[in-house]
Amino acid sequence: MRLHEYEAEEIFSKYGINIPLGGLAKIPREAKQIAESIGVPVVLKSQVLVGGRGKAGGVKIVGSLDEVDIVADKMLKTEIKGYRPEGLLVLKKVNINKEIYLGITIDRTLGIPIIMISSEGGINIEEVNRKNPEKIFKFPVNPLQNLYPYQVIDIVKKVGLSGGPLVETVNIIVKLYKIFKEYDGLIAEINPLVLTEEKKVLCVDAVLELDDSALFRHPELNKRRLDAMSERDKRLMKKGATFVKLKGNIGLICSGAGLAMSTMDMIKDYPQLSPANFLETGGGITSDLMVDCMELVLEQSELKAIFLNLYGGINPIHEGVKGVAKVICERKLNIPIVAKALGNRQEETWKTLEEVGVHIIKDTETQKAIEYLAKLLGVEK
Amino acid sequence: MSILINKNTKILVQGITGNIGTTQTKYMLKEGAKIVAGVTPGKGGQKVEDVPVFDTVEEAVNYFKIDVSVLFVPARVAKDSVLEAIDAGIKIVVLITEHIPVHDVMEMKAYALQKKAILIGPTTPGIITPGECKIGILPTNMFCPGPVGIISRSGTLAYEVAANLCAIGIGQSTAIGMGADRVAGTNLIDILKLFNEDQETKVVVIVGEVGGTQEEDAAEYIKEKISKPVVAYIAGASVPPGKRMGHAGAIIEGGKGSAKSKIQALTAAGTKVANRLYEIPSLVKELIS
Repeated sequence: MRLHEYEAEEIFSKYGINIPLGGLAKIPREAKQIAESIGVPVVLKSQVLVGGRGKAGGVKIVGSLDEVDIVADKMLKTEIKGYRPEGLLVLKKVNINKEIYLGITIDRTLGIPIIMISSEGGINIEEVNRKNPEKIFKFPVNPLQNLYPYQVIDIVKKVGLSGGPLVETVNIIVKLYKIFKEYDGLIAEINPLVLTEEKKVLCVDAVLELDDSALFRHPELNKRRLDAMSERDKRLMKKGATFVKLKGNIGLICSGAGLAMSTMDMIKDYPQLSPANFLETGGGITSDLMVDCMELVLEQSELKAIFLNLYGGINPIHEGVKGVAKVICERKLNIPIVAKALGNRQEETWKTLEEVGVHIIKDTETQKAIEYLAKLLGVEK
Repeated sequence: MSILINKNTKILVQGITGNIGTTQTKYMLKEGAKIVAGVTPGKGGQKVEDVPVFDTVEEAVNYFKIDVSVLFVPARVAKDSVLEAIDAGIKIVVLITEHIPVHDVMEMKAYALQKKAILIGPTTPGIITPGECKIGILPTNMFCPGPVGIISRSGTLAYEVAANLCAIGIGQSTAIGMGADRVAGTNLIDILKLFNEDQETKVVVIVGEVGGTQEEDAAEYIKEKISKPVVAYIAGASVPPGKRMGHAGAIIEGGKGSAKSKIQALTAAGTKVANRLYEIPSLVKELIS
């Protein structure tokens, strides 16, 4: 779950990390009111959940109070990479002496949190990583221990800080790590962390992405996420299914993420075919879940066929396909449906599907099923 | 020979009284797995399929010698259950459960490392040594005994690769699912090492997928340390990359993680790379004969 910048800043602030004065504006008038109370110049920042916002025009500095509502009005109406802003963060512009990058994420191979800091803060940090990776200093944290301030003094010195700002930055790292851990973070990032001309250290941009699997520990955030979801999406999520809409003509239901990706690769080998979606059922297949899956797939326009690729390991596929059959009967579907379903109780599974006219591929190779599907549709590689 | 498990392996099932635990215990027993005990706190004294149930792992290990514990416990108690198994001295822990918080997984992984235990999973289908023992949820009819070791990040793809190999008469020494979570208890390299030492395994198949840098790391290891032929496949070449926020993920992966990067690294390491799933059997066949 990705949090908006203003939400992340609220949390950072609660943990004692200093952020510039300001607040969230939903309408231009509110932006002006905030600017009046904190004084110009202000920075207006679109609250959208995509990266590269600054380069896409989602951040503007306004020097005169008269212009705040005009600029705010325009920004609130401007989509960033296809996303409409949820509001504008209006912050007092700070006098920057030095910009630092500070981030915490997980090293997937080692399975440990890594703290990263660089003197080359700002929007070009990924380029720094490509060209001068030695300018990013890293500290791996032992997941079984707390992080102590003394452990990170060295990397903070390496970015050129000393005296008060050194100590303050060390404390910010410890606080950020605490947030990362207590909120089940995947990424906690401050970019830039600014050393002002007044020698203060301020968090000028906050990123916090949380682990969806851990939201049961954060009921308030979980509730907010659930409120934004449809009833069907909630049911899918509860069962561990994942759906991603794509632009294609073959509806897809697979019982594993790897299997789904592999199947998509094979479908794409036919220039006239492409997956309409990614749908992975997870390990919680039931008849009802498969009804939801089928309905979700069928919502897509221009479907030429549906392909089911299922394995009965933990999943009772013989139960699941009853849901598939139900939808086929109720909706009187007339597009071809091809299924490859193997594993525990495969014979029962085949029988249920064959009775409603599904083409069953008993071969173990997904490729054979895709070839059959292509032949049905009259397309070639 | 095989790796990690064989016909003598004594198994504990944690979460044995739950729906999935009971169903899968039945399937495993049917395949001849030697399940000696189960654990569910509060259900001590009961029996599931004639297997005695204990309240704690400690009680179970006092009665039986146990080599492997397999877990079908809810995600929110998984960390507690894994630490319990490791503390009771069990050296191989197979965690089937999905959707476990990654911070919990990091703690389990670090703890296993410290106690010299092997944690397979989470979100793993388990391990199978065909004809001898199966631990987890893998459908047995997809596998057959033979000389190929399979390491897969995806469960379902492991089934398909094994079935396609069996279809041309090539069986498996052991097949193992790493689990496709953000962090895995055991990495590709650790399992590669075991297959390299196993006399029965002649060829190793790696079934990887986009994301993370495990395949790239494995490629480096293969180049330096693995003497056996390796076939690799990466799922997801056509999958559009997700929307990224923040830079930390990109920095840590440093341009790795895509199918292209993985295929390049593996090819450079002398691995035979299958571009599509169905190319695996013929590549393996060539290397065996």
